[in-house]
Amino acid sequence: MSNRLKLTDILVTIVISIGFGILYKIWGPLYYAVKPFGINIDQLIYGMWFMAATVAFLIIRKPGVALLAEVAASSGEFLMGSEFGLEVLLYGIIQGLFAELLLMAFKYKRYDLLAVSMAGISSCIGSLILDFYKGYIGDLSTWNLVLYMTFRFIGTILFTGVLANSIVKALEATGVTNLVRTTSQKDFDSLDQ
Amino acid sequence: MNISFEESWLHKVNPALKLFTLTFLFVFAVTIHHLNYMITFTLTVSILFFFCTGQPYKHLLLFLLPFLLVFFSTAVSMILFGKGETTLFKWGLVNVTEESLYRGLHLGFRALVFAMMGITFVLTTKPVQLFYSLMQQLKLHPKYAYSFMAAIRLIPIMFEELQTIRDARKVRGIQSQKGLSGVLKSIKSLPIPLLSQSIRRAFRIAVAMEAKRFNSSNARTFYYHIGFSIYDLLFIVYFVLTISLAYFFALEFPLFPVTDVRH
Repeated sequence: MSNRLKLTDILVTIVISIGFGILYKIWGPLYYAVKPFGINIDQLIYGMWFMAATVAFLIIRKPGVALLAEVAASSGEFLMGSEFGLEVLLYGIIQGLFAELLLMAFKYKRYDLLAVSMAGISSCIGSLILDFYKGYIGDLSTWNLVLYMTFRFIGTILFTGVLANSIVKALEATGVTNLVRTTSQKDFDSLDQ
Repeated sequence: MNISFEESWLHKVNPALKLFTLTFLFVFAVTIHHLNYMITFTLTVSILFFFCTGQPYKHLLLFLLPFLLVFFSTAVSMILFGKGETTLFKWGLVNVTEESLYRGLHLGFRALVFAMMGITFVLTTKPVQLFYSLMQQLKLHPKYAYSFMAAIRLIPIMFEELQTIRDARKVRGIQSQKGLSGVLKSIKSLPIPLLSQSIRRAFRIAVAMEAKRFNSSNARTFYYHIGFSIYDLLFIVYFVLTISLAYFFALEFPLFPVTDVRH
């Protein structure tokens, strides 16, 4: 069982991710529309932007897929003319890298809700670090900053963990994931966890 | 989308160089903490956006609308809830201070300049040329570049499929159920068929490419040759000149009496 990315893996990952890129693009105006209400409701939907990485990883289950997916999704969003401009590329790379690092810490052996939620949280931390430099979030009042971070973490677990996991479970039922996975008994066992 | 436009000199700039320069400017913009400089820097990019993309003004103004929303919404959350000492206005949790007002404006301009840089790049670069340029100038692996180009070609098919699924649901008289579980079900009913079809299609394309002996080594020939020209120099000189001018004007004729917006 080779763990290197083949053309099939890359193409499938990128096609899924460009699909997510379109979704990310639609998400931008939505995010900005709820933002001025204050109290950081917008942060609840931020988790969507980490989703490509975990969905692609759950489908293909190989090293490097999470990073590639997030980079591809952000490129897709960028090329569709995102309101965030070049920012999305940088955020995409960092978020993908952070998700990838966490999955690597699990040695790419866990494909369950916990692993992808943790990967999402890792991406979330990456995005917060960038926000700290770019958005001066450290200069928000303390109560506002706490709310900001809490909402973003909650949203991350909902989108990147729960929603991604349930989507891939449904995809597995269609049988399409068998095309791209190298199946082994170990994979089946880990599903039952 | 069919948008007619004229090719400007920005279209002729090497795509990889354009991307690299704009990425550098992006990082540069993050290091600007001086509000007046941020405003003049925004001007240098907006000159390109307004006069050099070759798009009709009607389109440019349409593109500008969401950017203004971005400006407003980014600025407002920092203005209302930012830290600061000199209070201008206080109402419950809202605490507008002089410092947070300037910081909010600064963030608004920063978001605006990022958006303009991005759209200027997208409006003046064809994706195919971008990926050919990335392969030739930055040695991006062809496996990735061609996958991107194939995926971009699939976008219209994805939209067509989305419409088909919606129509099929309508014809079969499927109505969305009420309640939270109903909402979740309808959220899931669209992406599953879309994703599974996309995966199948991507898989078939990959098989076809490999069957036709897709050569993913770097020693391959290219149909399009993307090189450098005098316009690349013009692009760089434009930014060097205008950014220096922007710095000069920001120091000599400051608009706001503030130097560093950080707390």
